[in-house]
Amino acid sequence: MGRNLQNNHSDLPYPWLPYAVAMAGILVSIIVWYALPADILTIPTLLPLGICLSILAGVLVRLIQRASERKQSYKLIDETFKKEMTERIEAEETKQKLERALLQGQKLQAIGTLAGGIAHDFNNILYAIIGYAELAREDVDTDSLIHKNLGKVLEGCKRGQDLVARILAFSRRQHHDFKPVCVKETMESVLSLLRPTIPASVNIDFKAMPEDSIIMGNQTQLHQVIVNLINNAVDAMDGEGNVRIHLSHVASSDKIFTQFPNVIKGIYCKIELSDTGHGMDQMTMERMFEPFFTTKEVGKGTGLGLATVHTIIKEHQGEIIVESQLGRGATFTLLLPEYVQMTENSNG
Amino acid sequence: MAKILLVEDDDLVRDMLAQVLTRASHQVESATNGEEATEILKTSDPDIMVTDIIMPKKSGITLISEVKNKHPNMEIIAISGGGRLDPTGYLDLSESLGATVSFEKPIDNSTLLMAIDLLAYGSKHEAT
Repeated sequence: MGRNLQNNHSDLPYPWLPYAVAMAGILVSIIVWYALPADILTIPTLLPLGICLSILAGVLVRLIQRASERKQSYKLIDETFKKEMTERIEAEETKQKLERALLQGQKLQAIGTLAGGIAHDFNNILYAIIGYAELAREDVDTDSLIHKNLGKVLEGCKRGQDLVARILAFSRRQHHDFKPVCVKETMESVLSLLRPTIPASVNIDFKAMPEDSIIMGNQTQLHQVIVNLINNAVDAMDGEGNVRIHLSHVASSDKIFTQFPNVIKGIYCKIELSDTGHGMDQMTMERMFEPFFTTKEVGKGTGLGLATVHTIIKEHQGEIIVESQLGRGATFTLLLPEYVQMTENSNG
Repeated sequence: MAKILLVEDDDLVRDMLAQVLTRASHQVESATNGEEATEILKTSDPDIMVTDIIMPKKSGITLISEVKNKHPNMEIIAISGGGRLDPTGYLDLSESLGATVSFEKPIDNSTLLMAIDLLAYGSKHEAT
């Protein structure tokens, strides 16, 4: 039996131990049997009893060994299983994130196309209204109420025109000029531009790493991104709180890439913008990059700010995510690929 | 006063523009698409053509390139609602195909009339 067990489990720490115990037992039994006085020796079963006890002891040792071995192997299986489960869950999460991002991208693209189409028809309609209103205005006395009211019609048209222009700005796929842009300088210039418009009770804390981060981008578009994000943050805080902007480098080995499953690993410039505002719920976070989605009061927001930000960041081969909880502010994280200047003699 | 061919598929815009141009004492002929415009051009010889870009049957782009071939002296004004913002940049294209000026809708009608006057004056000036 012992041999059989040993064949099955040849990687025991002391495979010889049960045999050694049994052999030692038998040896002791024989010695004792010889050393014992003659009258006891007459009992014939004594020696076989000793030998049997020795073998039993060996088997016992083997059984104990096997039990501990099983315990160890169960532990190992358990660990492997747990590891595999975690890996699978992670893979599933990454897949889901990727699918969501893809879906979001497709949705935005579709809405962009739709918006462009609507805007075209809308411009025709507006043009007709404006034209007729102007014609009618020419026919009446400039002091008359009709003239004044037609002026209001034209005012309304002007507002419609502005809105269409904004929709088109969102849906257009214009090729902007991309040049190496220093992110830190861009941020500083935007902040100096914005400061006078921000309430004094809002504190803006801007920190950047000492060395410059250069990205390939369009300065005007980047301005637009920062302005939109800061304005949103200020609005979310109802005029009081802190906005923290942090600029840093991200190396290709950084663990941040697990949060950005669809970003190619590389050297990136990371812009983190967090506020202490009212935060967002899950539904808002899912929809916030959609055009015309707004939580602001009617007339206060067009719902195009973050959609434009998303489009611009995508045009820059970058990525944007947001983390937020209701009542706990929001943090926008932007990744923009850093521009690596190639000299003529460089090897790449 | 100039003789103008107006090509526009949107009824409201066409009617409105026709009124605006007639009031400015221009002589206006209207077409609802590129094909109709080509038909009119067989019998008529306007000084200026004002055309929309996105139209059914024959688009403004095709019309402009045809007209530039057959009537090289005719001045062309392109107008479009999608304007410069369209993916293919229709208005830029129309200009490179031969449109003298292009406008994005909604257009300021006084600017349009001014452009027409300038072009009409210019072509007459050249002719004499």
